[in-house]
Amino acid sequence: MIRLQNIEKVYRTDTVETLAVNGISLDIAQGEFLSIMGPSGCGKSTLLNIMGLLDEPSKGSVRIDNQDISHFSDRKLASFRNQKLGFIFQSYHLINDLQVVDNVELPLLYRNSTAKERRRLAEAALEKVGLSNRLKHFPTQLSGGQRQRVAIARAIVGSPQIILADEPTGNLDSVMGNEIMDILINLNQREGTTIVMVTHDENMAHKTHRLVRLFDGSQVQ
Amino acid sequence: MFKHLFKLMWNKRKHNFLFLSEILVSFMVIFAISSFLIYYFQNYSKERGLDYEKVWSVSYDESYKTKNSDSLTMYYENLKNVIKALPEVEEVSFSSNNIPYANSISTTSITFKGKSFDGINQYLVGEGYKKVWNMNLEEGRWFTKEDEVAKDRPIVINETLKRDLFGDQSAVGKSTADYEGNKKLKIIGVVQDFKANGDFQPSGRAMFWKVDTAAFRWLNSLLIKVGPKADAAFESRLYKLISNTMKNSSIEITHVSELRISKNEATVMPMIIFSIIAGFLILNVALGLFGVLWYNINKRKGEIGLRRAIGASGSSVSLQLVAESFVLASMSLIVGVFFALQFPLLGVYNVPSAVYLTAILLSVGFIYVLVILCALYPGKQAAAILPAVALHEE
Repeated sequence: MIRLQNIEKVYRTDTVETLAVNGISLDIAQGEFLSIMGPSGCGKSTLLNIMGLLDEPSKGSVRIDNQDISHFSDRKLASFRNQKLGFIFQSYHLINDLQVVDNVELPLLYRNSTAKERRRLAEAALEKVGLSNRLKHFPTQLSGGQRQRVAIARAIVGSPQIILADEPTGNLDSVMGNEIMDILINLNQREGTTIVMVTHDENMAHKTHRLVRLFDGSQVQ
Repeated sequence: MFKHLFKLMWNKRKHNFLFLSEILVSFMVIFAISSFLIYYFQNYSKERGLDYEKVWSVSYDESYKTKNSDSLTMYYENLKNVIKALPEVEEVSFSSNNIPYANSISTTSITFKGKSFDGINQYLVGEGYKKVWNMNLEEGRWFTKEDEVAKDRPIVINETLKRDLFGDQSAVGKSTADYEGNKKLKIIGVVQDFKANGDFQPSGRAMFWKVDTAAFRWLNSLLIKVGPKADAAFESRLYKLISNTMKNSSIEITHVSELRISKNEATVMPMIIFSIIAGFLILNVALGLFGVLWYNINKRKGEIGLRRAIGASGSSVSLQLVAESFVLASMSLIVGVFFALQFPLLGVYNVPSAVYLTAILLSVGFIYVLVILCALYPGKQAAAILPAVALHEE
């Protein structure tokens, strides 16, 4: 599903050159639930951003769903992300000025779907994460766990094949973290969604199919 | 998408209060200026209705003291004939002080079918007045000697007054009454509208009476239409001629073209000052809008990153920010247009509704252009934000 070949990412300033990812090659199969672990600054999020087409590698190639995305235009990349990928972030990235249901509808705004269709899909996604009674709430009226569930609903509303989660339980206590993890496992098992999750939590990582460890930008496991 | 943006902007209305206020104030200022400009332009583009070139105004004091009206009339008629006989002079007429472009006005009312028509500029004039100003008669005739013995006092009115009184019907031969409704006034002619208060002011209602013998006791203006050969030397000779006739009188000759310039300046100068002040205000508002939009983009980096992640291209992020500004401007403009519409609805300052409505349309267009211009560059900057960086910063 995702094939990374010899990925390197170098950040350059006038005086310093930092190698964030160093020659990582990775194959992630369809339906796999993979976790990436490593200390802070080891390149986990950078690698996830490259997989999510949010950042370009300095070297190497990325293939998703058998497509080489290196020659994609900005518009095509955006459309590809919209169709194939769902994102979950540690800090949720919800828009506080929009109601829960409107937040979930966001990815569908960039598709040619009707308002009625968007609303139906958003309500269905919120039902999957157990928040069908919070449609009209604003994110600030929800707990951290509920906000992350909204973010998951937003990630799955467009039925993407891949979900990229960057420390989805990082801001939550263990109870809420487990709830979120259960939802992700459920998604992976029931709907066959490929999930790549960056985490610091060893327990969470062990619930996934495969664990990849990074250190100083290189893969060590 | 538009509904989504409207919802987003509506929910952020408190946050965007400064932006909304700036737009509203700008709209009202632009509306005021454009109302003036359109009104003045509309008046300017209408025919002047009179020729001011080579018209001189001679003001004098009462110099001939007599209780005998006939002698008085003969004295002034004689003076007029002497001046008219000069080869440089084409026409001469006595007039009340309120000659076109002068700062003096005289208004009255007339009654017609029980209704009072107010704010009519009244001019007391001689037989040569029409020729002095080269006014155009639309119907009927100008005053003649015979009008002095007419049973009902003859008057000539202008087109505006005719339209107000009779609509499209002919006015000649019809009668009205003076402001008290006592004296009958007979309309003998209608002249084309003429702009007596400068090129930028409307004609308004006007009415002419013929000078009668009693009027010579207080009249102190003489209008002279001179020919192309009338130069400064002639003006000096004319001055001496009048001075010698009107002993002990203070004589002043004024060129009406100078009065016109002065009258027009009285309209144009405040407008220029107002426009310069408004220009600075708009410049400040534009810089303010630019700053607010720039600030908003920096505050919303996380949202921009998110939108990029879930499927927005750089250009659609840029377009979204421009569209948001458009939505915000629309929210202010709805309020602004509501207030602006009260002007034509209430007929404020008697300015035609079309002027206000055109000004509203122009102002709305101006604000949209201003807002979009101010949003374009910040929008472009937002499009250049790397999603990974934006999401990380949040």
